[in-house]
Amino acid sequence: MSSWRSRSRQSNSSRISEEQINDLVSKLQMILPETRIRNNDRVSSARVLQETCNYIKSLHREVDDLSERLAELLETTDMTSSQAAIIRSLLM
Amino acid sequence: MASVPSSSSSSSPSQPKTRKKPGQNSSPPPPPQTKWQTGTQERLYSRRLVDALRATRDRTQVQESVGSRAVKEAADSALALTARGQSRWSRAILFGRNSCRRKLLVKAGGKIRRHRRKQHGAPPVAAAAAEPGVLKEQKVKERLRKLGRLVPGCRKLPAATLLEEAADYVAALELQVRTMRALAEALSAATVSAPEEEETEAVDPIAIAEQGS
Repeated sequence: MSSWRSRSRQSNSSRISEEQINDLVSKLQMILPETRIRNNDRVSSARVLQETCNYIKSLHREVDDLSERLAELLETTDMTSSQAAIIRSLLM
Repeated sequence: MASVPSSSSSSSPSQPKTRKKPGQNSSPPPPPQTKWQTGTQERLYSRRLVDALRATRDRTQVQESVGSRAVKEAADSALALTARGQSRWSRAILFGRNSCRRKLLVKAGGKIRRHRRKQHGAPPVAAAAAEPGVLKEQKVKERLRKLGRLVPGCRKLPAATLLEEAADYVAALELQVRTMRALAEALSAATVSAPEEEETEAVDPIAIAEQGS
């Protein structure tokens, strides 16, 4: 990837350009569900970073909840008999 | 260090960012995040997740229960494996858990180095000297630090790298949530139908699948 190389070249010369940072911040903004709807220009970098932190935290919480649920389900389910069903439903 | 302090004229003609420039306002999604949204990644991850969960369950004693923390760790390890060690957070997860996985990763990618990063010397000095305007604000700095704590293995990274890792990590987490939710749905559907099948001892996978869906 040529852009990877260009980026490492820049940080070797110890300079991270502002354009690069803004680029990355806007990329992040595209991923976040909250900020994606709003206009690009109006969201500040601080806000994007804040939203990112919040989003990652909420994703972590969801993973924790799902882990609990899966742990309970694993108790009661015999994996071998239903694993065909699982794989089937996941692959569809 | 004859670094030209022309951070304003950073859009020099020699920058080969061709894949970003034309499509900056339109919607082609950037490749590192798209990779987490493909069906291939989902299938890969779901298979790994199922294997990891089954292994976790086998390791658990009969009297004990599979804890949610074990499930979460299995899910995280599976996610990091699916990333194939190409991102720092995934390497941090895998190195943290299991030292024998290191061999797998070293075989997989040549760039896995724990201590010797060429860029490590430069950024702390550079960050103080040549930061762009937005990074000097106190708020932004604080939030960057918070972000660095949330993404595994990314505490001391320079801002640009941290932002990239965060974007990749968010996409991966979304995949993880989607897959775990689908698995939980499938399992709970299967649990409803499974007791009936176990009584008759005729485990017909097709019947279960039809009932489950």
